[in-house]
Amino acid sequence: MKVAITGIGIIAPPGVCKEDFWQNIKAGKSFVSPITRFDASKYPSQVAGQIENLNTNPIPRRLLKKIDKFSIFALIATEQAIKDASLNLAKEDPYNIGIFIGNALGGWLYAETELRDLYVEGRDGVSPYLASAWFPAAPQGQISIFYGIKGYSKTVVADRASALMAIGYAAKVIENKKLNIAFAGGTEAPVTPYALLCCSTEGSLSKGLYRPFDKERDGFVVGEGAGILVLEDIEHALKRGANIYGFITGYGTFCDGVDRIMPDPNGKGLIKAIKATLNMAGYKPQDIDYVCADGVGTKLGDLSETRAIKEVFGKKIPVSAPKSMFGYLLGAAGAVDVIIALLAMQNSIIPPTINYQTKDPECDLDYVPNKSRLKEIKRALIISRGRGGINAVLTIERG
Amino acid sequence: MENIEERVKKLFVKLFDMKPEEVNLEANLNDDLGMDSTEIVELTVALEKEFKINIEDGEIKKRHCVSDVVNIVKNRIK
Repeated sequence: MKVAITGIGIIAPPGVCKEDFWQNIKAGKSFVSPITRFDASKYPSQVAGQIENLNTNPIPRRLLKKIDKFSIFALIATEQAIKDASLNLAKEDPYNIGIFIGNALGGWLYAETELRDLYVEGRDGVSPYLASAWFPAAPQGQISIFYGIKGYSKTVVADRASALMAIGYAAKVIENKKLNIAFAGGTEAPVTPYALLCCSTEGSLSKGLYRPFDKERDGFVVGEGAGILVLEDIEHALKRGANIYGFITGYGTFCDGVDRIMPDPNGKGLIKAIKATLNMAGYKPQDIDYVCADGVGTKLGDLSETRAIKEVFGKKIPVSAPKSMFGYLLGAAGAVDVIIALLAMQNSIIPPTINYQTKDPECDLDYVPNKSRLKEIKRALIISRGRGGINAVLTIERG
Repeated sequence: MENIEERVKKLFVKLFDMKPEEVNLEANLNDDLGMDSTEIVELTVALEKEFKINIEDGEIKKRHCVSDVVNIVKNRIK
């Protein structure tokens, strides 16, 4: 497989444009802060990666009140990606452009508040826009309407692996010559009272510090935002003289099939997914220079991921979980990780796993602790995993 | 007290971020003002609250003009 990546759009706690985002990521700063937008004092996890004072250009006010925050994030990130790719949509065939968006939760803030109104005020208290605002495919629809995009599109809901699966799926569709261009990525807005409660009761949220692979790790912290990539058929990209960041070269996914929440302790499904991805890309394990890990921060999650990476790559490969800086963006995380890996390649810098203090004898890889590292990266492998044993893996190569 | 026509027009402007000059009596809800079915539901509920009247679901239609809406409200108030 070889599909070009020609544009990046990013809205995340470390930055709401590519440049700011990368400056903060390579500096290894933390963008996790106490939740202030609602009372989280009774929640086990009271911190999150949050985006404040977001400029909602180019969304008109008339549309803003009809859509949930996760659609707002997706629209802004798509606008950035289109500009970044220097795409003139008026010159493109709208039936040859698709939209592939990953999302785990849907528009819960909209749903929560309107459902409260339903129970308090009755039917007339509910916004008529709720019906089209909350559901997971809403961002796909809004992007389609906003830009007049009409090609084959799909929303992928696969828990925290949603975005990476959406990108892998989109790449396959382009590889099969069914589209010239795809907007692919993910969006999530989980910093809401009900969404955070559900993440908490599931038992995977940290009580304070998100520290993947650390011996004292106790889960992850949620973050909000969106990442959108412009994927393009190589010939199409070359013909219009597009800047090519890199290529998607392989994609694989397998399930563990063992538990509702926990992964297979030995990472068997992940090993299979990594091997299938390398096989599709035509790589040997030693061809990979950097692994952007899932790093969910739970005891078993990090242990099984470590075991799987070690089984395929040995102990020397640099592995990091940059999401430790800003939280796990659930169904958008994979897209943010692909963007980080692309910028890491472009700048020859591996971003770190932060908050790493105590070594776990069972998690014994090179996690690039706390400080970014200079290193040339030609090929990177990205891992996303979700509850119920979902494993997704993607490889990218420098342009 | 403002007249009913002005109050209805103001509601369009407030609810849908429209310019006062585009909300004229001849403006068609769908063709001229770009309203869809969900916006018509919002308008209906807002009119019911504003004028303390009851408007049936589907009574205001996409093909209606602002003047039709004003007339529906006037008929109810009678």
